[in-house]
Amino acid sequence: MTTKIRIRGVSKTYQSGDGHVHALDRTDLAVSEGEFVSIVGPSGCGKSTLLYIVGGFIAADGEVLVDDRAIAGPGIERGVVFQEYALFPWLTVRRNILYGLENRDLAAAARNRIADRLIGVIGLKSFEHRYPRELSGGMKQRVALARTLACDPAILLLDEPFGALDAQTREVMQDELLRIWLETRKTVLMVTHDVTEAVFLSNRICVMSARPGRIVEEFVVDLDRSVGRERLMLSDAFNKVRNEVWLAVRKQAVMAAQEAIA
Amino acid sequence: MTSATARAAGRGAAWAWRIVPIGLFLLVWQALGSSRLVDTSFLPTPIMVAHALGDLLSGHEIRDNLLVTLWRAIAGLVAGAAAGIALGVGMARSAAFRGYLAPIVGATYSLPKTALVPLLILWFGIGDRMAIAAVFLTCLLPVVVHTVHGVTATPPVLVWSAQALGASRRQVLWRVLLPHALPDIFTGLRVALGFAFVVAISAEMIASTAGIGRLTFMYGENGAYDYMFAAVASVVLVAFLADRALLGLGAVCLRWHESGAGEA
Repeated sequence: MTTKIRIRGVSKTYQSGDGHVHALDRTDLAVSEGEFVSIVGPSGCGKSTLLYIVGGFIAADGEVLVDDRAIAGPGIERGVVFQEYALFPWLTVRRNILYGLENRDLAAAARNRIADRLIGVIGLKSFEHRYPRELSGGMKQRVALARTLACDPAILLLDEPFGALDAQTREVMQDELLRIWLETRKTVLMVTHDVTEAVFLSNRICVMSARPGRIVEEFVVDLDRSVGRERLMLSDAFNKVRNEVWLAVRKQAVMAAQEAIA
Repeated sequence: MTSATARAAGRGAAWAWRIVPIGLFLLVWQALGSSRLVDTSFLPTPIMVAHALGDLLSGHEIRDNLLVTLWRAIAGLVAGAAAGIALGVGMARSAAFRGYLAPIVGATYSLPKTALVPLLILWFGIGDRMAIAAVFLTCLLPVVVHTVHGVTATPPVLVWSAQALGASRRQVLWRVLLPHALPDIFTGLRVALGFAFVVAISAEMIASTAGIGRLTFMYGENGAYDYMFAAVASVVLVAFLADRALLGLGAVCLRWHESGAGEA
């Protein structure tokens, strides 16, 4: 399989009030086309920073290649979903979904067809003329996902996309994302602190160390997801991987805590 | 009673409660004069003022002068707002530009712009241009300050989302930063509107051949205090209506915002 995203020797140091914060240290990662890769790690390990660098939102040392070309800032081939939804509060659900399409040379009828289809997919037909402040967290995140999918990006960058949702809504959203991924086979790079979520969705899981963040362990997840959520999550294979990843993350978190005390 | 009529009745009651203090104030004022506690040639009673207002409204004088003042206030406000938004956006987007202007804005913010009227007379002469310049300078700064705040407070994820959806630099400005700053800009406009009438009238009192400020000053000089109060009352009403109009416009433009209900 061809490599879609290649991250080579990426380091990031923030200038903060009383000195430097070394957020990322010479991180390497390659994501193949159609692969779903999750990054997990203790909080503050720089995993979101890595995602923002791949998004082209913040500059860093090292190289980020997409389709073997160095990125220069944000691009529509990399769609992003943020934890805090980041919907435009002054636009209705429909106008939010149309936002990216309006930046492109596309006939109005074609735009509306795409918007209609996605509004149907996320089941918000009766809310399409509402403003974001009138929606629940789960609805907002559906709209954010639809807005990103409207531009049909080859890559999805997800920054703790369901982190702000309650447990039940989160599972529903994970099911939806899994269905979309199985249908479209987009390349996905997701940051999460939820190990179960990572195992449920990903082909591969990268564990990051505490700050400065580096990828210290990798787990390949080879599970049959066609059996449905219940059978999958209750299976021994699922729980074996989950426990391994959980232990790996815990080891990093404990080390970080000990360093903080020392 | 349907819920709609109940709501209408509720609104009516709320209005009544707002009128009560004004009514009491007028009653006390009237009593002061009627009971001869205060000499009505120094403080005319509300009834005397109402008579004077009726007399003024039957002629052209008050309408002509109000239109002059209204034009000066609104022209200065619109020009000040346009320049204020442009400067505010520039300051929010460029650290160098902000570095230059922020100290000047800070130093001149609390300067009463009417103190500059003698200088403005020198530059523009006596008339519309001088008064509009004074209003312009007054309205500029609150709009600058609120625009800077509204633009700089835009969450980075909104800008990033727009960029990842293919927005250019221009589109980020027009379709992210300005809409996000709009509630703040409206707040600045409301502050500016309040100042606009004060400064237009003050400038007219200092030097003018027309306008409500000159009219008020002239009646005061001649001891026609009932007519003076009538002229003041007319401008209070116009300023109040202008403020309500701006609030109404804000409520329409900011439907999406938490403040969009348009509470005063």
